[in-house]
Amino acid sequence: MDKYDVAIVGSGACGGWACMALAQSGFKVVVLEAGSHIDTYKEFKHRWPYEMQFRGAGQPGFLRKYFKGSTEYNYRIMIDDRENPYTTAPDKPFAWRRSRVLGGRTLHWSRASDRFSDFDFKAASRDGFGEDWPISYADIAPYYDRVERFIGVSAAPAKLPQFPDGVFLPAMPLNCAESIFQAACRKIDFPSTPRRVAQLTRMWHNRPPCHYCGNCVNGCDVGAMFNTVVSTLPPALKTGNVTLLCDSVVSHVLTDSEKRARGIRYIERYSNKEVEIGALVVVLAGSSLENTRLLLNSEPGGLANSSGVLGQYLMDQVSGSGVSGFLPILKNAAIRNDDGKAGGLYIPNFTNIGVRPKPAKFIRGYAMSATGGAMGIPAFAPSLPGFGSDYKKRVKSLYPSFARVWLSGGEMLARKENYVELDPQVRDKWGIPVLKIHCTHCDNDRRLYEDFFERAQELFRAAHGEISDAKPFLSTPGSLIHEVGTCRMGNDSKTSVLNSFCQTHDVKNLFVFGGGCFVTTGDKHPTLTMMALTARGCDQLIDMAHKGDI
Amino acid sequence: MAVGAPSKMRRKITRRDAGWLIAQAAGVAGGADFFAKWTQGAKHDVHQEHAMHSTAPPDPHDWRSYRPQFFSGDEYRILDAFSAILIPSDDTPGAREAHVTAFIDFVVKAAAEYAPEMQDRWRKALGWLAEQNFGSLSAAEQTSLVQQMAAPEQDNSKKHPGYGTYRLIKDMVVHAFYTSRVGLVDVLEYKGLAYLTEFPACTHPEHHQV
Repeated sequence: MDKYDVAIVGSGACGGWACMALAQSGFKVVVLEAGSHIDTYKEFKHRWPYEMQFRGAGQPGFLRKYFKGSTEYNYRIMIDDRENPYTTAPDKPFAWRRSRVLGGRTLHWSRASDRFSDFDFKAASRDGFGEDWPISYADIAPYYDRVERFIGVSAAPAKLPQFPDGVFLPAMPLNCAESIFQAACRKIDFPSTPRRVAQLTRMWHNRPPCHYCGNCVNGCDVGAMFNTVVSTLPPALKTGNVTLLCDSVVSHVLTDSEKRARGIRYIERYSNKEVEIGALVVVLAGSSLENTRLLLNSEPGGLANSSGVLGQYLMDQVSGSGVSGFLPILKNAAIRNDDGKAGGLYIPNFTNIGVRPKPAKFIRGYAMSATGGAMGIPAFAPSLPGFGSDYKKRVKSLYPSFARVWLSGGEMLARKENYVELDPQVRDKWGIPVLKIHCTHCDNDRRLYEDFFERAQELFRAAHGEISDAKPFLSTPGSLIHEVGTCRMGNDSKTSVLNSFCQTHDVKNLFVFGGGCFVTTGDKHPTLTMMALTARGCDQLIDMAHKGDI
Repeated sequence: MAVGAPSKMRRKITRRDAGWLIAQAAGVAGGADFFAKWTQGAKHDVHQEHAMHSTAPPDPHDWRSYRPQFFSGDEYRILDAFSAILIPSDDTPGAREAHVTAFIDFVVKAAAEYAPEMQDRWRKALGWLAEQNFGSLSAAEQTSLVQQMAAPEQDNSKKHPGYGTYRLIKDMVVHAFYTSRVGLVDVLEYKGLAYLTEFPACTHPEHHQV
């Protein structure tokens, strides 16, 4: 049996960071990735809709059936539901969007990189619902610094206590529609700042700056947006300490008689052969829910689950339809490259943080985003009434004036009733039990969404926009792809699975990185916080190893 | 705190800068190819020249020699006439130049495997138009019928038995047209998917106040 110092399961944002941090500290690391190793520089390129057989929509019915939530551009780096099913109760749908590929979802993420504040970490102390995180902003701030310095985040300081500033590369400028929305925000006293994105605005750690093609979520062709393959993996591999095992589907964390992790069992994706490897420390970083699934499958009742809370407190942030329409001042404007940075204007949360006199009808908060301009294919055109030459001219005239406001993320309350378990019957292609997901919205989630919808219209009106599409509906949980929780952190081993370093209370040499540890969703994008917690956990792991304490 | 000098933010990157960047990027995999395209982009001043020359590649598909695979000859001619009424060729190219009918035939044919119900909808829609003798109507009569079919779109108190057919065809024709090179690049003049050295910031004072 091959033996390593550390076995890392997964190669996304957190697995990649852990791999780099631990390999650079001299550990012999093996990374197990369930998907393939692709060469992003070769695989990703600018692709025009008309270059694809089905103009981006895929063969009719195909993506809807097997690759839900993906497009013809990117489905090959998404998961195939035939091989990787999951189940839900019939009346409780959950959208679980996954990737199995080296780099995981970093290859096509939205790159939004926000810091949580103590308004997020200590929300329970303010309103009495749920639990505080076992860390405060001061604990994690140095790790935010470290991650931002490495991955490169283009942003502008906003000087808002609920949205802490960080170590920033120059922000990307706003386009015309975003400038108008920013002026509207000033008028109605909404805070706003360019969306903070892990996209380079200058050469950075041997990576070129963004060239504003707008192709980000289909994979960056030059590595100007952060992903594992171009960013954390090269320096990790350079150490000579890393063994990369792709197409390796992990089924179990192995333990010894003293309740210590001793290694990993995985299945070779194509040969179905079972293989065991030994490791002094096991790090799970295969996404929030895959980590939990693996713990549940490793031992009856779940490994590291003396608390019984493993699988509970599943969350996705609240999302739903936004408001779209046109900004009349931009009608007939000269066409510009408006969607090239694929960013927008960000409106950080301003509810329930003491800056508004009138208390909201719900607890916690949400953030909005706004953008507009000539956005590739004119999505508004099919529902624009009419036909003929006049219709064509109206589409052309409205094209640069299209605008939309959307819900970046609202806090979904952490509730025990939302949970995952192993499905007793269904197994994946490799015989591993799949997750059965139970998740619904609560009244607070719905009231929060309703408030967003009113505010979004208020912003649109302040920008003198003409609203053409405003039909409120709450999205299926999971749709925002910010699924977190199920392996929460806490100071009390009776009510949490992990300590604040993402180390399991029960098994000292087992760490779980990713969103699973989240105590609340907050209203920010989650990835930067997952990475900062990974960096902090790795420091702890290294420190303990040097002291011979692990 | 910002890393480096924020004053560089709005500065246009010149070809000399691009050369420096190429030297910096020598170690970046795929860098040479990328920077060759990038330096081409650097020749255009994005602030002075909003209408940057398009780098859109040609359509790789040969729609001219396309032969219908799903629709019958009559159905295909009806759909082609209908599409040309929705998106006519006028001072800019229309559905015909974009080979919209050929693309729709290709998509509906490909629906057999995973979405056969889509084929049924199209058969019914074209069947309904055939019942109205759409193919033998004069151009003016055809336009008039489309007008009547479309009435509920503007006024939902109105009803027309052909509205479902109109909706199906319009949604697909509009999608097919604006995802084609003709629709997206020639007509809408979409400027994205380019290699730019700098994102074109809004510099219009009137957009910075509402």
